Amino acid sequence: MSETVRRVAGWGVAALALLVIVVGLLPGEADADPDQREQYLSERIACPWCDGQSLAESDSQVARDLVVIMREKIDAGWTDGEIYDFFASSYGEQVVLEPPLTGWGVALWAVPAAALLTGGWVIWKRQSR
Amino acid sequence: MIATIGLLSILLAVAASGVLIVRAWVESRAPEPKASAIRLPVAMLLLGSLLAFAALELGILTDDFTLEYVADNSSTTTPLIFKLAGAWAALEGSIVLWGAVLAALVYFVARRVTDGDRLGLTALSIIGVVSLFWFGLMATVANPFAVCTELAGRACAESSWLPFVSSVAPADGVGANPLLQNHILMAVHPPMLYVGYVGFTAPFAFAIAALIRGEQGSVWLERTRRWSVISWAFLGFGILLGAWWSYEVLGWGGYWAWDPVENAALLPWLAATAFIHSAVVQRRRGMLQAWNLILIIATFSLTILGTFLTRSGTIISVHSFTQSGVGPILLGFLMVVVIGSLLLFAWRSHLVSSAPRLDSLASREGLFLLNNLILTVFALAVLLGTLYPIVLEAMGRARVSVGTPYYNRVTIPIAFVLLLAMGVGAVTPYRFARRDVVWPRIAAPLVIGLVAGAVTVALGVSSVPVVVVIILGTFVVATIGKEMLRQSGKLDGSRVGAVGRVLRRDPGYWGGQMAHVGVALLAVGIAASSGLAVREQVRIPAGEAAAVDSYCISYEAPTSRVEPNRSVTGAILTLRSADCSSELATLEPVFNRYTRPPAVATPAVRTGITEDVFVALATVPGDDVVLDVMIFPLMWVLWAGGLIAVGGGMWAVYARKRTRERVTAYV
Repeated sequence: MSETVRRVAGWGVAALALLVIVVGLLPGEADADPDQREQYLSERIACPWCDGQSLAESDSQVARDLVVIMREKIDAGWTDGEIYDFFASSYGEQVVLEPPLTGWGVALWAVPAAALLTGGWVIWKRQSR
Repeated sequence: MIATIGLLSILLAVAASGVLIVRAWVESRAPEPKASAIRLPVAMLLLGSLLAFAALELGILTDDFTLEYVADNSSTTTPLIFKLAGAWAALEGSIVLWGAVLAALVYFVARRVTDGDRLGLTALSIIGVVSLFWFGLMATVANPFAVCTELAGRACAESSWLPFVSSVAPADGVGANPLLQNHILMAVHPPMLYVGYVGFTAPFAFAIAALIRGEQGSVWLERTRRWSVISWAFLGFGILLGAWWSYEVLGWGGYWAWDPVENAALLPWLAATAFIHSAVVQRRRGMLQAWNLILIIATFSLTILGTFLTRSGTIISVHSFTQSGVGPILLGFLMVVVIGSLLLFAWRSHLVSSAPRLDSLASREGLFLLNNLILTVFALAVLLGTLYPIVLEAMGRARVSVGTPYYNRVTIPIAFVLLLAMGVGAVTPYRFARRDVVWPRIAAPLVIGLVAGAVTVALGVSSVPVVVVIILGTFVVATIGKEMLRQSGKLDGSRVGAVGRVLRRDPGYWGGQMAHVGVALLAVGIAASSGLAVREQVRIPAGEAAAVDSYCISYEAPTSRVEPNRSVTGAILTLRSADCSSELATLEPVFNRYTRPPAVATPAVRTGITEDVFVALATVPGDDVVLDVMIFPLMWVLWAGGLIAVGGGMWAVYARKRTRERVTAYV
C-alpha cells in the first residue's frame, strides 16, 4: 500500500468516525425530562443529616423522603434556583452542594483561573524562541 | 508492664531523634564528616519505634484492657486480623505505625550516607526534627500507652499517662470501629497511605538540606528519586485501596465522594505527580530548580495538612474517627513547616536556582510544564474546595458545602488536557519537536481513538465526557503501544523478548509510560462507571422477581447468622439475565451489626466484563425487601488502571536499580 493511499484512508476513517461522533452526540431533547432533573438535583443537594452525602448517594429514609418532596416541586414547575433556595432556607445553606457564584464563592473559580493564566503567561515568557 | 515498655520505647525514640538532630548537624559541619557518628542514634530510633509498635500489638493480642487504647479499639471477640490492624485503627496507634515507618525510612536513608556526605548528614538532621515531632506527640498528647484508671461501662472514662499507676480494666473492650472491621482492605489501606505520606519526608529533607547548604545542581533530586517515586506509588495504591473499600463495603454505591479526607490524600498525590514530572526536566535539562523545591515543600506540607484534616476533628466525614488535642499541635507544626520552608526558600533559593531557558514550548519539557501547570491548578482547586467551607465556618458565617458538582466541573476539562498531553508527550523529543517528527507518531493513534469514540457512540452512549475520555484514553494507549512496537521492532529475536528488553533498557521512561497507560484506563473506568451508571430502587416480595435494567433479580429468602464479632442480616438473591432464564450469580447483600454502632450495609457486587451489578439493602429483609440496584459499566477497568499505574511507578524504581545505564528514547 502506497503512502498516499494510507494517508487518504487515514483521513477518510478519521472523518467518518468524527461524523458518527458528532451526529450521535448532537443534543437530543433538552434535559426538561423530570427524571433527569430529579437525578441532577439530587446529586446537588445534600441530605442534611448524612455527613455530607448527597440525596442521590445517601440510602437513608430522610434522603428518600426529601427526594419525594423535591420531585413534587419539579412536577409543579419550580426552577432549579427555586428548589435550591427552598432547601437552603429549610435546612441551611450547607445542603446546597453547588457552591454559589456570589461573595466568597467566586474565589473558588477565580483563584484557579488566575493561577492558570499567570502560570501560562510565565511559561510562555520563558521561551527563548 | 506493656505500658511501661511501650512508653519507655517511645521515650527512647524521642531521645534518639534529639541526638540524631544534633550529631548529624554537627557532623555535617565537621572538617571531616564521619558517617559512623549517626549510627547509634539511628539504631536506637529504629529500636525504640519497633519496640513501641510491638508493645502495642502485644497489648492488643493479649487483650490487655488496662491500656485505654486497647479497651477502646479492640475486644476479645475481634477477629485476629482486625486485632493486628487495630494497632493503626485510631489516632494514637496510627501514629505509632507512622513512627515505625519513619524510623525505617531514617534507617534506609542513613545506610547510604557515607563519610564526607555533608548533604546526607544535613538531611538526616532535618528528618530527625520531623521524627522528634511525631515521637514527641506520642510521648505527650497522643500517648498510645495511657492506662485506664476509671471505667464508664465498657469504655475507659479516665486514663493516666503514667504507666505504673493502679489501673482498672473492663471485662471486655468496646471492639474495633465497625467500619474498620468490615473488610480486609481496611487493614491494608492505612499502612500503604502512611508509607506514601512518610516517604516524602526524604526528598523534602534533602531539598531543605540543599537549600541550607546552598548546593547547586540536582544531587538532592537524584539521591531521592527512588523515595519520591516509591512514595508516589504507595500513596496512589493507598488511595486506590480506600476507593475500593468504599465501593465494596459501603452501600452507597460509590468509591469517591470528594470528601475532605479523600481530598487530603489526593492533594499530596497531585503535588507529588507534578514533582515527579518536573524533576525529570531538572535532571535532563537543568531547568526548574527553584520550582522543584517549591513542589516538594508543597507535597510535604500537604501530607501534614492531610493528617491535620483527618485527625483534628475539624471536618465531619466518614473518615474523621477522632477528636483530640492533637489538632492545634498538628496545625502548629504545619505552620512551622510551611512558613519555615518558605522563608528558607526566599533567603537561600538564589544560591540553588540557575535556569536554562526553555528552547521551545513544542518539546517534551514544554509538555512537562503544561502538566505541571494543570496539576498545580487542579491541586489548588481541590485545596480551595476543601478549605472553603472550613474557613467560612471559622469566620462565623453560615455553613456551606462544596460538593461533587464543583469538583466534576474542574476535573473533567483538566482530565482532557492531561490525557492529550500524556499521549503526545510520550513521543515528543526534548528541546524542540518538529511537526514532521511528532505527527507520524500520533496520527494513527488519533485515528484509532476516533474510531473507538465512534464505536462507543454507535453503541448508544450519548454522554459527551464519556465519549471524549474514551477517544483520548484510547489515543494514549495506542500512542504508547505504537512506540513500543517501533522500538521493539528494531531488536532481534522474538517480539515478546524484545518488548521485555525495551522495558528494561529505559525503566524510567517505560515505567512512566506504564503509569500513563494505567491512568488512561483509570480515566476510562471513572468516566464509564460514573457517566453511564444506572441507579434504581426496587421492592421485591419474597419468592418473586423484578426486572432491573437488563437483569432479573429474585428475592429467595432472608438470612441471618451470628458471628463472634457481629450479627449479620441479609437477603439471598438470584441474579438472572433479562428474561429470567439463565442464572448469573447468587448475591447476598447484608447489614452487619457490631458491638458498637453504626450498623454497616455491605453490598453484594457481581463483576462482569462489561459492567458491575451492585446491590445494597435499603431495608431489613422480611416478607419483602427494598434494594438499591446500581449498574456500573467498566468498573474493573478503573481498578486495573489504578494497579497498572502503581506498577509503572514500581517498575521505574525496581528495574532502574538493576540496570544503571541510561538510555533514552529520544535524544
